[in-house]
Amino acid sequence: MRLIIRDDPTQASSYIAKYIIDRIQAFNPTKEHPFVLGLPTGSSPVGIYKILVQKFKAGEISFENVVTFNMDEYIGIPREHPESYHTFMYKHFFSHVNVHPSNIHILNGNAPDLEAECVQYEAAIKAAGGIDLFLGGIGPDGHIAFNEPGSSLASRTRVKTLAYDTIIANSRFFDNDLEKVPKMALTVGVQTVLEAREVVIIITGAHKSLALKKCIEDGVNHMWTLSSLQLHPHPMIVVDEDATLELQVKTVKVIAPIPHIKIIPELTRNQYFKSIEAVASSQGFEQILPSKIRTGPRTTALNSTYSPSKPPTPATVKDEPSILSPQPVTSTLLAAPATEYPVRSHTPELVPDRMGSRIAAF
Amino acid sequence: MPSAVPTNNNEIITKFTNCRLVKGDELVEQDLWVSSATGKIVKSQEAFYGAHATPDVTVNLGGRIISPGLIDVQLNGAFGFNFSSIPEEPSSYGKTLRQVNKSIIQTGVTSYLPTLTTQPQEVYHNALPYLGPSGGLRIASDGAESLGAHCEGPFLSPTKNGIHPVECITPALNGFSDLEAMYGATNINPTLDPLSGTLQAPKIKKITAAPEIGAMMRTIPDITARGIVYSIGHTEASYEEASLAVASGATMITHLFNAMRPLHHRNPGVFGVLGIAESLPRPYFGIIADGIHLHPTSIKIAFNAHPEGFVLVTDAMHLVGLPDGVYEWNNGERILKRGSQLLLEGTEKIAGSSITLIECVSNFLNFSGATVPQALKAVTATPAAMLGLSGVKGSLESDADADLVVLEEQVDAMGKRSLKVDQVWKFGSKVFDRSQ
Repeated sequence: MRLIIRDDPTQASSYIAKYIIDRIQAFNPTKEHPFVLGLPTGSSPVGIYKILVQKFKAGEISFENVVTFNMDEYIGIPREHPESYHTFMYKHFFSHVNVHPSNIHILNGNAPDLEAECVQYEAAIKAAGGIDLFLGGIGPDGHIAFNEPGSSLASRTRVKTLAYDTIIANSRFFDNDLEKVPKMALTVGVQTVLEAREVVIIITGAHKSLALKKCIEDGVNHMWTLSSLQLHPHPMIVVDEDATLELQVKTVKVIAPIPHIKIIPELTRNQYFKSIEAVASSQGFEQILPSKIRTGPRTTALNSTYSPSKPPTPATVKDEPSILSPQPVTSTLLAAPATEYPVRSHTPELVPDRMGSRIAAF
Repeated sequence: MPSAVPTNNNEIITKFTNCRLVKGDELVEQDLWVSSATGKIVKSQEAFYGAHATPDVTVNLGGRIISPGLIDVQLNGAFGFNFSSIPEEPSSYGKTLRQVNKSIIQTGVTSYLPTLTTQPQEVYHNALPYLGPSGGLRIASDGAESLGAHCEGPFLSPTKNGIHPVECITPALNGFSDLEAMYGATNINPTLDPLSGTLQAPKIKKITAAPEIGAMMRTIPDITARGIVYSIGHTEASYEEASLAVASGATMITHLFNAMRPLHHRNPGVFGVLGIAESLPRPYFGIIADGIHLHPTSIKIAFNAHPEGFVLVTDAMHLVGLPDGVYEWNNGERILKRGSQLLLEGTEKIAGSSITLIECVSNFLNFSGATVPQALKAVTATPAAMLGLSGVKGSLESDADADLVVLEEQVDAMGKRSLKVDQVWKFGSKVFDRSQ
């Protein structure tokens, strides 16, 4: 896990925006082999979208060949409702950039058959070749998408009832009228997120510091669904200073005192991560993905056996990554039989025997 | 093999970006999509997700202001053409009008009420058939659109005639039948369209009359029942009479302060109905902000009395745009044009104005210190509401008609603010660009 700590939310957002742009450019997406981006809604990502829009308007990035999948959407409010996630995405991102509407996927909370909608959504992700980078945020209770505390870590896209706390929290967007707040939502599952080749999470603000602690310092736990990220091969969490407030003190070499938290004399763990980042970047080493995932499709011609009688096969084929869509450990734990990874042999059954039996007879 | 031709293959969706939209009393930084096919403002989010529509053209306005197209509810003529005239060749009226409409729109006025002053009966009968609502076909190149005629007279108070010829002023003693006789029954009543068989709105959209003269007071409901706005003006009405007119259905006051009794502390006159003591709905009111008709402070007081009813009008004569000099007027009288001032020759009587509507807006900005959206509201959303066209004209909300002006805000060395019309769009197509 990479934990990137920046001084304030703006710097954290700008780090992620730059990271996404670098990723898309390195991938060099084409019409046939688009970059597949998973996107969140919420207050934390707004800053990221703002910077992405700026960079687009400055001509530094094009979303021409980017396919997007959003995390979630309310059930039962019109698509044009000011609080719908369609509206959020349109307002903050899609209306300002050149993502083609046919490349956009947002769950339809008004679908006649919601179950079918969820199944189709998973199928669409697969058809697009899987998500290359899933951007996310979390709630103060550590939830990712609408996978609130207690959601199965093996969950997939599905209908979800919202927790009462969430309904109350959301009521401020619906005239403070609980009756108007949607009670259900469609959301991708934890497993859906974990299957992305890369997951990048933004966490900012003191009110999310406990969630950050629970998700990275404690064990994997369905009460803090983001903690499942510990099982992902390529996760990254980008936070601001405030979000690190609850991180534990640890005996790590001091790099520099943190200017605006002088009242804490000890060292905090974020300095541990900071020191890692400092060392890594001094060595020109960043989080390395398998090179083929990093660079997108191979563009060499594969149809060497081309014959005029056969229709030509496409010249470019989306390569299977060297790690077949990185398998989070949950899939091997939960989806037996695991075939992608060698399964470690079980601890042998205890067979009580006499000590004497092990002594070779004279 | 013939195939169905898609109906929208000529549709051009234009997206304005990097612009500030006049919405209510605020300038909102937001993109705006318009369609040349429907002539309307596009529900962009719905079109984007639903029809996977993307703009064909993106216009970067560099932070300039988009206002709904301006609406002038009192325009007597322009570019040398007086609406209240019968040309020597009567059939040329329509042709000249079409030319003038193409000129008017370049001033930022995308729709207006062509206004007829007090005239002999035959002028109404000749002119009104040409002056009815003209936007039915939604053709951008037609220029400024008439929303219906405004008849200012002849049922006025002879003592508050302004420059209207007294000999033509007449009371409507018999009520509505006198109006029908004066204006022509086919002009003041809805007519059946012979082609579609549907009822069409009357040619007349607004009548200015003195409520205390003849049987006008009891005729007001007959007027408003036909969808025509009754406006109090050129009147000796007391506060009580003005209140009764409002109670009878008057929703507008024509050029407040001018050609009516002044505000007196013991009888506040027509101005008094802007008070809220009587629990009557407060009418809209027109204000001529040319700096000549009214003192700037009077304008400010009127605005503050009822900002939601404040409508800026030009009351411009056909001389607007022509050089200074002496021009022929009714019945041998002549008008002296000196700059933006028009006087009846040999008198000190103001003979209308020769100012453009956007100049009125700039004046109002400087007189009152109002914000740009507040000032523009007085020539867009408020007159549209007065005419019952909220959400159709004078609005940048989805599904409103895509009549737009692109404005540049300028401040000179003296700190004087002004708005310049850079572009004009009608029904989703550009019809004027200052830089071209």
